[in-house]
Amino acid sequence: MNLCSAIVHAKPEQAAVVTDRLQEFSGVEVHGGQEEGKLIVTIEGTEDDALADTLTSFNNVDGVISTVMIYHYCGEDAANEEVLQ
Amino acid sequence: MKLTRRDFVKSNAVAAAAAAAGVTLPGIKTAAAADADGIRWDKIACRFCGTGCSVLVGVKDGQMVASQGDPDAPVNKGLNCIKGYFLPKIMYGKDRLTQPLLRKSGGKYAKDGKFEPVSWDEAFDVMAEHWKKAIKKSMEENAGKPVDKMTSRVGMFGSGQWTVWEGYAASKFMKAGLRSNNLDPNARHCMASAVGAFIRAFGIDEPMGCYDDLEHADAFVLWGANMAEMHPILWSRLTDTRLTKPDSEVHVLSTYEHRCFELADNGMVFIPQSDLAIANYIANYIIQNKAYNKAFLDQHVNFTKTPTDIGYGLRPEHPLEKAAKNAGKGKLSKISFDEYAASVAEYTVDKAHEISGVPKDKLEKLAKLYADPKKKVVSYWTMGMNQHTRGVWINGLVYNIHLLMGKISEPGNGPFSLTGQPSACGTAREVGTFCHRLPADLVVKKAPHRAFSEKIWKLPEGTLNGKVGYHAVLMHRMLKDSKMNTFWVMCNNNMQAAANMNEESYPGWRNPDNFITVSDPYPTVSAQAADLILPTAMWAEKEGAYGNAERRTQFWRQQIKAPGEARSDLWQIMEFSKRFTMEEVWPAELLDKAPEYKGKTLFDVLYANGEVNKFPVQEVKDTDGNVYENDEMALFGFYPQKGLFEEYRLFNSAPDIIKKGHEMADFDTYHKVRGLRWPVINGKETLWRFREGYDPHVAKGEGVKFYGKPDGRANIITAPYEPAAESPDKEYDLWLCTGRVLEHWHSGSMTRRVPELYRAVPDAVVYMHPKDAKKRRLRQGQMAKLQTRRGELVARVETRGRNRTPEGLVYIPWFDAHRLVNKLTLDATDPLSKETDYKKCAVKISRA
Repeated sequence: MNLCSAIVHAKPEQAAVVTDRLQEFSGVEVHGGQEEGKLIVTIEGTEDDALADTLTSFNNVDGVISTVMIYHYCGEDAANEEVLQ
Repeated sequence: MKLTRRDFVKSNAVAAAAAAAGVTLPGIKTAAAADADGIRWDKIACRFCGTGCSVLVGVKDGQMVASQGDPDAPVNKGLNCIKGYFLPKIMYGKDRLTQPLLRKSGGKYAKDGKFEPVSWDEAFDVMAEHWKKAIKKSMEENAGKPVDKMTSRVGMFGSGQWTVWEGYAASKFMKAGLRSNNLDPNARHCMASAVGAFIRAFGIDEPMGCYDDLEHADAFVLWGANMAEMHPILWSRLTDTRLTKPDSEVHVLSTYEHRCFELADNGMVFIPQSDLAIANYIANYIIQNKAYNKAFLDQHVNFTKTPTDIGYGLRPEHPLEKAAKNAGKGKLSKISFDEYAASVAEYTVDKAHEISGVPKDKLEKLAKLYADPKKKVVSYWTMGMNQHTRGVWINGLVYNIHLLMGKISEPGNGPFSLTGQPSACGTAREVGTFCHRLPADLVVKKAPHRAFSEKIWKLPEGTLNGKVGYHAVLMHRMLKDSKMNTFWVMCNNNMQAAANMNEESYPGWRNPDNFITVSDPYPTVSAQAADLILPTAMWAEKEGAYGNAERRTQFWRQQIKAPGEARSDLWQIMEFSKRFTMEEVWPAELLDKAPEYKGKTLFDVLYANGEVNKFPVQEVKDTDGNVYENDEMALFGFYPQKGLFEEYRLFNSAPDIIKKGHEMADFDTYHKVRGLRWPVINGKETLWRFREGYDPHVAKGEGVKFYGKPDGRANIITAPYEPAAESPDKEYDLWLCTGRVLEHWHSGSMTRRVPELYRAVPDAVVYMHPKDAKKRRLRQGQMAKLQTRRGELVARVETRGRNRTPEGLVYIPWFDAHRLVNKLTLDATDPLSKETDYKKCAVKISRA
C-alpha cells in the first residue's frame, strides 16, 4: 500500500473545476476544502508507483497555485485486511 | 462497521491534511484509527535543511513506514516539503553500508588495496595505529613549545548534521583528548561568513529574530537565497503573508532568476560580487535622505572600518595573495559617523547600477523600502552571501542597513541569516566544532576561555591547545602537503563538497603518507576515496538533538535500529577513544599535573569522568507509555546523550559562565516540547534578542542592549566593493555559479537513494541563457562540456528550466555524484571566515 495526502491551493472560485481536473489522475481523490481554496487530496497507488510524480504534475494543472505534501504511508502489508469491525 | 487497513491509513492521511489546512471535513475520525493501524507515532526534527521542521514519523514492526508534518510544530504547522515527505525512505537505500570496509591487499591494510569487510575491532586497530603514529610525531614536534604554538598531525572533519552531543563528544575527543584544534565542520562551507559577521557586529553568534517575523514583517528582502526551493516551508509562510497582508512586498536579489521571482514585487538580477555595491548604495541613500534613526545610532552603535585589499584565502604563493596589501586582515578601527558617511558616499545610484547591472528604478525601490521608517523589513540570505570571498563584509553591510534604521531585534524587523543544515547552528556553531572555537562562543585563542573549559572538562591547566587549527579548506591543503596525516570525516561528503577537487582534495586524500577514515551510511564519493569506511547509524536510528536557524533546540528519541553492524557517530567517537592510553596522547609533564589520569584511557578521562557517565541506564518512554531503544545507552551502560548534554550546559547555563545569552533548558524538558529558542531562562524561551521585554538579559529601562559586546553597542562596519577572485575573461568567458535544487539535498547521498526523487531530477543540468547556448552552437537538451582552469565535466544544457540565468552566467547544481562540480570550482575563500566562494569562478562551455 502506498498512499499520501496533500493540500492543493487553488482560488476558491476555481476550486470546483480544479477538483474535477485533479480527479482525472489515477488514484486521486478530493475530500473537500473547496470553500477555503485548500483542497484536501489523497493519492493512492501500489508500492512501485511514484506518487511524487503525480504530485509534481499537479503544479501543471490550470488553477493550481501550489501543492504541499502532508502525509505519506508506504508499507508492505495487506491493505484490505480488516482491522476493525 | 467494517474497516480495512487502507481505510484507516487514508482517514489518517485526510485528517492530517485537513488539520494542517485548517479545513473541517465532516465524518473524519482519527482517534480510533490511530490505535488500530498499529503504527507508533513520535516527533522528530527533519534530517534536511536548517529550517528545523518537526515531522511525525510512524514506525511499525521496526520499520519506518509513514510520515506527516507535525501539526503541533510552531515551525512548520503541519506542513511538509517534498524532502521531508520522503524521510522514511532515506534509511532504506539498497546500498546501505552494514559493516566496516578497509582497503587491503594480501590480508593486510594497503593504501592501494581493495575494500574488504572487516570487524570493528580490526577497523579500529588499524585506524588507531595510524593515529598513534601521527600523535607521536606531533608530540615530538611540540616538545618545549608553549600551548599557543602547538601543531597537530591528526584531524577530524565533522558536520552540521551531527547531533548536538556527537559534536560535543567530538570536540572533547579532539581538543581535550588529543590536544588538536584540527576539528572543523562542513558548516565552514556554509555558515562561517555568517558567524564571522555576527561576532564582529554583535559579539555573539546567531540571529536576533525568529521565524515569527515571517508573519510580523511588511516586507521581505532576499539577498542570495532561493527560499522557494531551499527552504520551502518558510517560503510558504512568507507567501501566505505576501498574499494576505495589504501593501506587503517581496524583493529578490540574485545572480539569476529562480522560483522566488514568481512572487517578487521587485526582482533584481545583479552581476556576481556587486551585492557589495548595492548594500553600500542603500546605506548611502539612507544617509543622503537623513532617514537614519539618530537616537538608535547614538545609543546603540559604534562606527568602524575594516582593512581592505585582503586577498582571497588562496595558498600564500598564489599571485593574488602576494598582490594583496592586507591579506587575511580584519582588525576593526573606530571611525566617526561622518567618516562612515564619507566612506559610502561614492555609492550613488549611478555607480551601483554601473557595477551591478540592476536598473536604477529597481535599486531605488529597494532603498526606499529600507529607508521607510514605517515599513517593517526582514532581510534573508543563505549561501549567496555566505559563499563569497567578501562574505563577512557583505553580511556586515546588510547589518549596517538594519542598524542605521534601528530595524532590528523586534517583531517583523531584522536581518536573518538562514541555515542550510539541520544543526549548523545547534552543533557546529553552538557546540563550537570549528578549529578556532570552544563551546558557547568561547575561542581557543583566549587563555581565560581555555582555563574555563579545562575546569569543566577536569583537565590540568595548560592542556588545551591555544593555536587555531586547520580550517576545512586548509585541511585538504595540509593533507596534500603531508602536514596532516590522519583524517576522520563524519556525517558529510567532503570529497564531493570541497572546492578544487582535482588540485587539492583528491591528491590530499590519496597521498600515501595519510590515512583517511570516512563514517557514512552510504558509499559516497568520499567513502570511496577513503582508506577505511565505517558504517554509520542514521538520524532516526539514534537519540538526537538539532538546533535550527532560529535558535530552536529540538530532541528526538531513537525510532528504529540501524542495519547490520552500523553504529552511530557518537558510539564510534567514544568507543575509539578507548584505544588510547593517556601516556600515548599527553606528554609526561602534562600528565604529572594530573597523576590520577596515569594508566587510564582517553575514554576514562573524557567520558567516564563522573559527568558524562552520571546518568544510569533508564527506560526511554513517551507520554503515551511507548518505550524506545537507545543503543548507545545499552552499549556503554550509562545514558551518554544526557550526560554529554548536561555537561555541555555547564558551558552555557551554569552560574559562572563567561558569555551569557546561550542558556538552555535541561535535557528532560526538550524531550517533552517542540523545541525551545535560547536563551531559555526559567523555562521561558526568547523570541527577539537584545530588546527589553523580549530578552531577559536586557534590564528594564535599557531598551536595546547588544550585550555580546562589552559596551552593549553593535558595530556598523564599513567595507567597499572589491572584485571577485576569478572573473570571466576572453578565454573563460562565463560566470559559473553552483548550488542546490529542491529535490536533492546537498551532495544527494540520501535523496538520490529515494527512487521518486531520483526519477524527478536524475542528473545535474547546466542552466544557461538561450543566447549563450546558441553562440556555442548548443541547444536545449544537448550535452555541453564545461571547462575551468582546474577541471572539466559534461552536462546537459537546460535553457528553459526553473532557473533562468542572464547572459554571461551559468548555474549547475552539485548533488550529482556522476558530475563532480567541484572539479571546476576554485578554492578561493573569504580571508576572514575561510568559507569557500562556490558562486563565482570563470568557465568556458563548448559542445561535448
